[in-house]
Amino acid sequence: MGVLRTIGIRALTLIGVVIAVLLMLVIVLGVTGLSDKMLKAIADQILMEIRQGLAREIKDPEALKAAIEQQRMEIYAAFGLDKPWYARIPDMVVRVMTFDLGYTRTIKSFTGSQRVADIIWERLPNTILLVTTAIAISAVLGLIIGVKVATRPGSRLDRVASYFSAISFALPTWWTGIIFIFVFAFYFRLFPFGGMYSAPPPEEPLARFLDLLWHAALPVTTLVVALVGSWIYVTRTIVLNTAQEDFVAAARAKGLPESVVRRRYIIRVAAPPILTNIVLGLAGSIGGAIITETVFQWPGMGSLYYQAIFSLEENLIIALTFIFTVVYVAARFILEILYIVLDPRVRY
Amino acid sequence: MSVGRDALREFWASKVSKMGVALLVLLVVVSVYVVLTYPLDFGLRYWNNPAYWADNPKAVPPEWWNLFTDKKLPPHVIKDFHEPSDVRDQRGRRILEYVYSFDFQYDEFPSFLSISLNNVTFSSRRPPRVEIFLDRPDNISVRLLRFTVTGPRPGEEAPYFRYVEAPNRVRITGDKNVFSALSAMLKKYYGLSIRPSEVGEIGAEKVAFGEPSGDGFKVLRGRYVLRAVVTGYDEDVDVGMLRMVVGGRVYGFSGTDTLGRDLAVGLLFGFPIALLIGFLTSTVTTIIGAITGVISGYMGGKVDTGIQRLSDIILNIPLLPILIFFTFVLGTEIPRLWVIIAILIAFSWPSLTIVVRPMVLQIRESQFVEAAVAIGAPRLWIMFRHIFPQVAPFVFAQLIFFTPSAILAEAALSFLGLGDPSMPTWGQILETGFRSGGVYIGYWWWVLPPGLLIVFAAITFVLIALGLEPVVNPRLRRMK
Repeated sequence: MGVLRTIGIRALTLIGVVIAVLLMLVIVLGVTGLSDKMLKAIADQILMEIRQGLAREIKDPEALKAAIEQQRMEIYAAFGLDKPWYARIPDMVVRVMTFDLGYTRTIKSFTGSQRVADIIWERLPNTILLVTTAIAISAVLGLIIGVKVATRPGSRLDRVASYFSAISFALPTWWTGIIFIFVFAFYFRLFPFGGMYSAPPPEEPLARFLDLLWHAALPVTTLVVALVGSWIYVTRTIVLNTAQEDFVAAARAKGLPESVVRRRYIIRVAAPPILTNIVLGLAGSIGGAIITETVFQWPGMGSLYYQAIFSLEENLIIALTFIFTVVYVAARFILEILYIVLDPRVRY
Repeated sequence: MSVGRDALREFWASKVSKMGVALLVLLVVVSVYVVLTYPLDFGLRYWNNPAYWADNPKAVPPEWWNLFTDKKLPPHVIKDFHEPSDVRDQRGRRILEYVYSFDFQYDEFPSFLSISLNNVTFSSRRPPRVEIFLDRPDNISVRLLRFTVTGPRPGEEAPYFRYVEAPNRVRITGDKNVFSALSAMLKKYYGLSIRPSEVGEIGAEKVAFGEPSGDGFKVLRGRYVLRAVVTGYDEDVDVGMLRMVVGGRVYGFSGTDTLGRDLAVGLLFGFPIALLIGFLTSTVTTIIGAITGVISGYMGGKVDTGIQRLSDIILNIPLLPILIFFTFVLGTEIPRLWVIIAILIAFSWPSLTIVVRPMVLQIRESQFVEAAVAIGAPRLWIMFRHIFPQVAPFVFAQLIFFTPSAILAEAALSFLGLGDPSMPTWGQILETGFRSGGVYIGYWWWVLPPGLLIVFAAITFVLIALGLEPVVNPRLRRMK
């Protein structure tokens, strides 16, 4: 029961986060008048279709005008446009949650749809693929290197790793990406400049997979370079701190082999705080992903952001901001569960 | 006080901190220089004003690039004449002659030729005539262009002033009449019939500074003389300034972008802005974070719960999407720079609150606080006289640690096209370079330096923070 309760509390907090973000988006949109603009655009599109139908039936221009005005009033009322923005908050919240934000002006989905929801759903898997691969690789690398470095503090390896993590922290992700493009795509012509598949993509599944790997190599490496530094640094600091605890000294005094001391007494204890720090760094990886996708034109939600900003598609930007929050919160929830598994103390 | 001095010595002892402080001094010195020498409206008046950069070559690498290439590229030459090289009177006409003679020994053609006239004065009804000649090393002399200054309007009284507010700028290598002149030259001296429009397609600068070779043109090396002859019909004729530009293939210290903007100038302007964003954001963030942390830890109860809940929610919001949203929505009404700074502050302070609070909880139990409570000191007094000084070193370290993330966040937003359009930042320069395809064509001088500077600024603060860490966290110190 205790585990479920802890998970439940965490879930509630995270749902609170989603609601807070939703409310914030809707209120800002309402205050700035953007929600009026968006709803009017949707309503006018419907009205245009109705007008064509009416024009065929009613021939008298005066009567037609009156009928259209009548329809317009009804549709505006249905969208809540006759009420002030704060009266529409619940309606807008539902709209944002279901991506029911109308149509884009210029950006299209790969299948040609201009519905906001279609465009987003199509790109979500691409982003998740890129980010999870990069996080998994940096986690493995960071833990191995971090622990290794922590066992030999002050060594040359330690210093190199420290400098590297400082540089990794300060390197803007997109700049790393641009340098990679310059070196590996422009100069050596080893990797493609961007995209996810060659055009046209290979038909055969294996060739298609290899093509994907070839295209993903640079963006994934870019993200790993950006993320692995903090993994190494956090692992090193926490393992170093744990290694100074009395129970570690006691274990050594008992004559336990160093490998056992390290595995059972240091790493086991250090794991939960390492995870905590990584959870805090998750938001950074989302930001890094947005920019990496932009640099490499990876057809995910991050590069969509860039296009949406450029072509002033406010409904796409709202939908993206919301979905990124949801993705982040979901990822965070998975890590929280992992944390509960790792650390028996928080279960009860 | 001695504790402070010890901490300072400890900080100064590490190489990392010395390097960080040295870089910081450099950052500050450059920023101060820029603030003192640049106009405040630099972004709008100069940087985003294409006319200001019209005389520069477009998208060329820096001058020192010549050290690394086999091809010798011509540098950019601007020749300003405030006085004519020669004045003579001939049959009632005054002839002002401007002569620029130069030795052209490069492997590439100049990028363009242009001439501008400033402040032309005359008093006869007949306006002065301007002719441009080019004498080539192979003894061919071409009259490239002839035009007259705008004549007097009906009712206008002498003397007449022309080109006072804006110079009359003639891009010689883009002028149709020049194409015709060069076409005639090719016909006369080389027996080639190439139509004027084809001269334009080949590039007038190639024809003017080259000789036919195979299918194309190769550079004709040697001494060239560019002459501008102004023929006036009265004695008052005067040209305030005449400028000749032989467009280079390399420019200045950082090269130029596709609008001809001198990148060195824009990059320098980025220094104070980066520092402003970094320091302002981190200072306000740490102040708010420290105050809420102290209050939350010391007061306890409902206030504590409230602050903790709020922090928990804010910390769980991914920053970049929210920043994009707010900058996009609000950035049209408020200058974007301030929106970025405000949102960064609003969403970053809780990360400090949640680390300060447990420290305060510990300090609250100490005897000196108990003593202060016992003598009846007010709560505010205790919080800021007794508790705050205890957490201050840690808070200061956090301030330093925060600075690079603010700089990086602004750069990220600029890179996504949400930068403040009224002033150039490093992120924006990088973004324009990226958006105009600089990466794919290989404009390294446009894309690499701004990123390098962002890294440089961020590294500065990371190094100082690393140096501060053993001072603030004594446990790491013991390990050495």
